[in-house]
Amino acid sequence: MKLAWILARKDLLQTVRDKLSFIFILLMPLAFTLFFGLLFGGGSDRLPLAVNDADGGAAAKQLLAALQTSDVVKVTVESVADAEKAVDDNKAAVALLIPKGYSADLTAGKKATLTVVSTEGSSGAATAASEIRSLAGEQVAVELAARAAAQSVWSTRSMPAGAEQGVIAQSAAQARSVTAQALAHPAATVKVVQAGTAAGQVPTGFVLSSPGMLVNFIMFSLVTAGVALIVERRNGTLQRLMTTRVRRWELIAGKAAGMFLLTFVQQILLLGVGQLFFGVDYLRDPEALLVMMVSLSLVASTLGLLLAAVLKSEQALVATSVIVSMSVSALSGAWFPLEITGSAFQFVGHLLPTAWILDCLRGIVVRGFDVADVLPALGVSVAWAAAFFVLAVWRFRLSD
Amino acid sequence: MNIVEVQELRKQYDPPKGVLAVDGVSFDIAESEIFSLLGPNGAGKSTTISMLSCLLHPSGGDALVAGHSVVSEAQSVKEVIGVVPQDIALYPDMSARENLLFWGRMYGLSGEALKKRVDEILELITLADRQKDRVEKFSGGMKRRVNIGVALLHKPKVLYLDEPTVGIDPQSRRSILDGILALRDQGMTILYTTHYMAEAQELSDRIGIVDHGKMIATGTHEELVKVVGEEARVTARVDHYLEGMAERWREVKGVEKVDLEEDEAVLLTEDPNEVLPRLFEAAAAAGARITEINVTEPNLEMVFLHLTGRALRE
Amino acid sequence: MTKIIAIAWKDLRSTARNMPALAMMLLAPLALAALLGFAFGGGSGFDIAATKVAVANLDRAPSSAGESAGAVVVGILGSSGLKHVLDVSKKSDDAAARAAVDDGKDAVAVIIPSDFSTVIYGGSPLATTQVELYENPTQEIGGAIAEGVVDQALLEFSGARAAAAGALALRAQGEPPPAVLAKSAAQQFTHAGGVTAGLDISQRTPQLSGDQNAKDVSVTGAILAGMMVFFMFFGAANVARTILDEDRAGTLPRLFTTPTSYGVILGGKFASVFVTVTLQAVILLVAGRLIFSIDWGRLDAVVLLTLVAAGVASGLALLVISLTRTPAQAGAIGAGVYLVLALVGGNFTGTAQTGGTFGIVQKFTPNGWLLQGWNTTMRGGGSGDIRWQLLVPLGFAVAFFFFAVLRIRRRFA
Repeated sequence: MKLAWILARKDLLQTVRDKLSFIFILLMPLAFTLFFGLLFGGGSDRLPLAVNDADGGAAAKQLLAALQTSDVVKVTVESVADAEKAVDDNKAAVALLIPKGYSADLTAGKKATLTVVSTEGSSGAATAASEIRSLAGEQVAVELAARAAAQSVWSTRSMPAGAEQGVIAQSAAQARSVTAQALAHPAATVKVVQAGTAAGQVPTGFVLSSPGMLVNFIMFSLVTAGVALIVERRNGTLQRLMTTRVRRWELIAGKAAGMFLLTFVQQILLLGVGQLFFGVDYLRDPEALLVMMVSLSLVASTLGLLLAAVLKSEQALVATSVIVSMSVSALSGAWFPLEITGSAFQFVGHLLPTAWILDCLRGIVVRGFDVADVLPALGVSVAWAAAFFVLAVWRFRLSD
Repeated sequence: MNIVEVQELRKQYDPPKGVLAVDGVSFDIAESEIFSLLGPNGAGKSTTISMLSCLLHPSGGDALVAGHSVVSEAQSVKEVIGVVPQDIALYPDMSARENLLFWGRMYGLSGEALKKRVDEILELITLADRQKDRVEKFSGGMKRRVNIGVALLHKPKVLYLDEPTVGIDPQSRRSILDGILALRDQGMTILYTTHYMAEAQELSDRIGIVDHGKMIATGTHEELVKVVGEEARVTARVDHYLEGMAERWREVKGVEKVDLEEDEAVLLTEDPNEVLPRLFEAAAAAGARITEINVTEPNLEMVFLHLTGRALRE
Repeated sequence: MTKIIAIAWKDLRSTARNMPALAMMLLAPLALAALLGFAFGGGSGFDIAATKVAVANLDRAPSSAGESAGAVVVGILGSSGLKHVLDVSKKSDDAAARAAVDDGKDAVAVIIPSDFSTVIYGGSPLATTQVELYENPTQEIGGAIAEGVVDQALLEFSGARAAAAGALALRAQGEPPPAVLAKSAAQQFTHAGGVTAGLDISQRTPQLSGDQNAKDVSVTGAILAGMMVFFMFFGAANVARTILDEDRAGTLPRLFTTPTSYGVILGGKFASVFVTVTLQAVILLVAGRLIFSIDWGRLDAVVLLTLVAAGVASGLALLVISLTRTPAQAGAIGAGVYLVLALVGGNFTGTAQTGGTFGIVQKFTPNGWLLQGWNTTMRGGGSGDIRWQLLVPLGFAVAFFFFAVLRIRRRFA
């Protein structure tokens, strides 16, 4: 065991001495996390909304005013072309086009139309569109309720022929303030309760994305973890080691231990930045966090070892590591929440230990997970790591 | 006529305090001559060749190759030299033929002329039947032959070979040395660096001995050997009474000098063939038995030792 | 020129024989695009999984009423029109519904209180009630969708109540009793179709200049564009790294001993990087068309975007090489730089992060601009629509090349 530890130390020393690579292994993910956190860590931005009011009527102005006081969107008033361009250029999440005749249609009881311009698949657009629907819906409800009130009252009265429209419109106008008042104080409202937030944090964008970034970078470090091993195989030092007292399993364990420690240190840095600078409460349950960190490093180091054992050249290792780490990151939900993918994809994704680890990291921060809650993820990770390790030992070559 | 004239060439890495790898080296090489730079590892041989190849800019001095200065006319120098580097510098994932075609283009050859020349080189290096195989599959010796073949593509006036036989089997070495001699016979001028005395002795018309960046002696083998004199060195051990034998051997005709070194006698003689039988006779007459006897003709190793106080192989 | 072509051709041939490099340059982007396309349904338009919703209807309908208001809400949630969006399962009580969320089985639980119908159908204007949405905070999108649907349903109820209040306000002496009038108004509102019938919000993609019929971008196309640009970085890096490999192996110094000038040798290496990565892009574009039926758009825009992307990738790869000493360093540092650029530029997330700070930050990356250009091109835009998406990355490419050349020349001169 001691020999394995000596080997691990040597590997770490070599890594540290290659200053440029070392800086990049540690500093680059750190810098990126800092950068990302500064941008998104302060709570959600209001989504930019470009509005064009081609109508100018009272209802259109009212809708515009309601959007301008919204917490969800931040309104700029533009021409149609500028509004479209703003969406195209990613300056606005959506554009809302209020057509000429909107106010008139509304008061006449006709169907009111609005157009939302957005880019396909944008989640910001979906949120902004939902807010538009909500505020426009309320406005429409006021008008329709007033109209319904007027119609129901006048259904019991007689009126001159041909005067129906005018009479109902007039009554609807009278009823509008009442219906508006009634809708401003609805009988039934939605109360949103976040599960587990009694123990955890209310998630901002950064709180939810920070664990994904962590997994992404640790998986990406597969690229560098195995290179040293391949270089040693090529220059003959690996073979030479086997002429000493070192046993084969000690050699492999030492290699894996070096990779484990490197990824563990990376995690400490990234989690530390998240905790200290951006208030992501990873340390809410330190034991559960430690279990997840160990799980992630186990998976990354054994997978890195397997790739280095099987592949011949540095180039092959870089290529395979990039492909594997990207696929694993995507499948695990590091890039986008798995909830927006199909059920087949989610199923496949949750076969991977990294998906479990990600769910648990988010759970620790946001849903108050403790050690008991993360043990299944540990079990899955250990199973995968053991499989990687066994395969690596079986396929390990001392020379080309 | 001299085709290479090296004048006080100097190279200091990272001046002003850096290593002075070459310190005022001067020598000339006549046309169709094989000139060897002989010296231990780190003597400055490769640095000298790098400057003459225009890979390194000299810190001082200059050299003319076929009348062109390495300092100011590098491109012209490169037109007339062929360089065989110490390490194999080929593309392993390309075949022998592909390598030669590519390098030929880099030397300015093209079209049918290039193809014809590549065929000639493949014949010369006896790899025509393996021309389509990737270099990475070749043995060390075969790689060395392609390595040399590349440098000959453009029919250079001067060929530089930087320790071309390091680490290869005796058969391949023999083949390379024979090839070099053949090239010289065809009129090529060759600058050859080595730390193997035997190679320098066998190949060279003239030899330059370098050590610590300085040229310490130049000349033919015979001229250099004269530095240590023409006497052969005979070392002998006897079964008993060495001092007494040494006295007797001083009286033997043809023995110039006898010294005692630890447990052996060191004799100098101009004609060891004549002297050796007399030494045995003298020993027999004294009742002693010679247990070991060695004869060393004057050689470059002794020249180096004499000039530097160190062995060539230290 | 022929020497430059000879050097470029040698490197191209070497790359073609290099299986790991080919896997990285061609297989990886196609495989990842297929994987992610599979994630999102693959066709035009995002096809995301239905949100799992647990519903606990605790509502006790008033005995005189027919269907309870709670049942109406449950019916709306489980309606066929929403089946692709919500996957509803009914739970016996609120505890079971919350447990389903806590256990991760459902994204959100909708708990309709026991007094729901009483408040909704009852006459008291002051009575209020709340429908609880118990959400898994890590599944924001599903929660937002369920919220939207429940909000809509509640709005219809509120609208009917508002109509009733309005009718009461308009009632004159001698007219039908308030309860009758109120019920009539509420029914009038509901039978007219409510808000759903009164408001139509249509959605479309931005129109390009002069083009009334901008196309929808295929999901796989958007993903492959992002992957293509990302893996072009690696493709270029692969060839650029041979400068360091050859320096170590001795073939580069040997090249410098030939009459071929430094400019031609380095120019040849630069050309080989550019040509290789351009060819990589062409192959990926063709493969995208053949395998995934991606319509990349108008040829002029496609050609220009491809060439500019190749320039950016080449310049960046050469810059990384110029700053590193060994091939291993170049590999590690390059991989890190490309990953960060891709994350910031949106190569992996495409248009999922839009506007605001992210939109600004994207503009600091050449690939962010390129991806915007691809988005516009795939929607039918021409080269005129992507002027800035070509010029800005081109500027990046020129800057990368400039600094790379300066450093590499100093190193090898």
